[in-house]
Amino acid sequence: MLELLLSKYNYWLYVILMMIGLYAMLAKRNLVKKLIGMNIFQTAVILFYVSIGVKTGEVTVPILPYGHHHGHEQAINVAHYLNPLPHVLMLTAIVVSIATTGVALAVLILIYRRFQTLEEDEILKINQETGT
Amino acid sequence: MLIYGTQDMPSWGDPQSPASVHVSPYYIKRSMIDTETPNIVSSVLADYRGYDTMGETTVIFTAAMVCFLLLRRRDEDEGDH
Amino acid sequence: MTNQFPALIIAVPLLAALATPLIGWRNSRGCYYWAVFTMALVCFFAIGLLRSVILNGPISYHQGGWAPPWGIEYYVDYLNAYMLPIIAVISLIVIIYSKHSINRELDGRQMPTYTLILLMITGLMGIVVTGDLFNVFVFLEIASLSCYGLIASGQDGAPLATFRYIIMGTIGASCYLLGVGYLYIVTGSLNLADVSQLIPPLYHSRVVLSAGVLMLVGISLKMALFPLHTWLPNAYAYAPSSVSALIAPLFTKVAAYLMIRVMFTLFRPDFFTTVIPATTIMTWLAVTAMMIGSFYAIAQNNLKKMLCYSVVAQIGYIALGIALANKAGLIGALLHILNEAFTKGCVFLVVGAIIYQTGDCTIDHFKNLFRRMPFTMGAFTIGVFSMIGIPPTCGFFSKLSLLMGCIVDRHWVFVAALLISTILNVIYFFRVIKVASFEEPEADYGRKEPYDQVRMEEVPLSMRIPIMLMAAGILLSGIFSSTIAKTILIHIIPAGF
Repeated sequence: MLELLLSKYNYWLYVILMMIGLYAMLAKRNLVKKLIGMNIFQTAVILFYVSIGVKTGEVTVPILPYGHHHGHEQAINVAHYLNPLPHVLMLTAIVVSIATTGVALAVLILIYRRFQTLEEDEILKINQETGT
Repeated sequence: MLIYGTQDMPSWGDPQSPASVHVSPYYIKRSMIDTETPNIVSSVLADYRGYDTMGETTVIFTAAMVCFLLLRRRDEDEGDH
Repeated sequence: MTNQFPALIIAVPLLAALATPLIGWRNSRGCYYWAVFTMALVCFFAIGLLRSVILNGPISYHQGGWAPPWGIEYYVDYLNAYMLPIIAVISLIVIIYSKHSINRELDGRQMPTYTLILLMITGLMGIVVTGDLFNVFVFLEIASLSCYGLIASGQDGAPLATFRYIIMGTIGASCYLLGVGYLYIVTGSLNLADVSQLIPPLYHSRVVLSAGVLMLVGISLKMALFPLHTWLPNAYAYAPSSVSALIAPLFTKVAAYLMIRVMFTLFRPDFFTTVIPATTIMTWLAVTAMMIGSFYAIAQNNLKKMLCYSVVAQIGYIALGIALANKAGLIGALLHILNEAFTKGCVFLVVGAIIYQTGDCTIDHFKNLFRRMPFTMGAFTIGVFSMIGIPPTCGFFSKLSLLMGCIVDRHWVFVAALLISTILNVIYFFRVIKVASFEEPEADYGRKEPYDQVRMEEVPLSMRIPIMLMAAGILLSGIFSSTIAKTILIHIIPAGF
């Protein structure tokens, strides 16, 4: 059990981060806090993906040193470079996360203009009073 | 349940994990030859998986359009809040 | 030439969406014609793809010329080719309808609206036509973001409903992404066909189990399967009329398509029936969705909200068909997707017409609507018949297929549930028809901006024709349903059913 924990502690960290985000989304009453919880959840997923690509040993970032000319299939030792694919996927995912946060903030502005508050229970109370 | 799933995952930094031996070595080996770009992440992002990048740019455009749709004040809305 | 269609079907609406702001700069109302033109082209591509797949078999298109699994592959087989024309045709009809409705509700903002509509179509097409798991996520987000924006531009309670939808939708998409990540850890590939070949030796690995569950949960959130459906009624009810008519028939059904893909193509069907009893859980959830959706619908006085609860119930039908995991059930689910697309499109267009003419859609105010708006209410009646399941509309055949799927596996509880929910459907829909046809009109009541110029008569032609086209679609798809099943749907059934 301890050995399990030690070898995979990175995954457990991200799971904990995800649970924090989920708790914030569901339990908090303020809409902005819910939004931040969503952001934490997405960030945890992104970190999880990035951690997939790590390799132990003499490893460096996936950038080939300049000096390899095309035409030579030089002996590029694959085990020396990190896995580039998760980084690529996560660049896209980070952009998507930012876009979603931006849209959510725009919607929050609209809500604020209408209700003058960003607390969920106050908004529900106003809704009930006006009979929507 | 998520932690339950991690029990069978390869350990952190395992160089023999399937993620590292199946598709990625192709990118690392052939990136210079196919795309002449030393930065492998860029070559995957812009060349092999350029379609995803196009989608990502579209996402940004969509978000901008949404903000434009929602936040434009029409003249009759201008007033004191 | 049809080789290029898989790429064109995404590229055309995308480029059109990028060009719409330029057109909107000069003439805000010209965006409508541009959108109609683009959608007509997309319909042409979609039907061309369907024809090509029927004649020649599945098409595989490598984006950028890189072979899979190193590049992104678009794989159009029977399931894709079946969904694409549905999306294209429904969108075309709704966009033709949308001219007056959007001009009245969203005047001055046509340009972003049509841009977002075209982007949403791009996203939906992309989800359907791609064969790469991460690409699905990217297009899912494109479609979702444009959906959030379009819904939030409605009135009154729209922003709050949208915010709730954003939170829940993003959880769903992130769960799906996490599931893809789990699969990536153990297989190293993102290509649908590739991963589906690499998984079977690993079926009992916990990672694959978690991945399957995560992906199902994520997709169920987007599909509004009970108990994750709470965002749907408010979000679709407060959206502008054309937007509801566009999103309601399509978005959840594309998510249902994604679920079929994940369950039957990615993981083999026996994974979900034997390794984890997900199908059993799903069938019970589907039945609950049917019951709860129908019960809530009866209690509603607002026609739009009632229809949204009806959507929840119908998603229960589709999910039941998928989860039954036998031949008749799956055919029933697929036919029901077609049925739902046309029926919900028709009914939401009718609601939009009623709102256009009268300003609200409270059922009690519908007195004597049949005489004032005969064409519209006639189409509504056809839509109601389809939802109840009266021949020759498509609803009858899809329900029959679902019933046979339940009977084959001797799930008598589900048979009973199907019949009970049909009776509940009859109750709440006939209430609308009764109010609209038999009661005398009451005195005029005060109306809100901008509907104060109300005339209780038939809607303009550009709205009437799409409504009738939808109704005709319901009837045609019902009459030809066995042809559709024999030529297309038979090939979608995975081996072993």
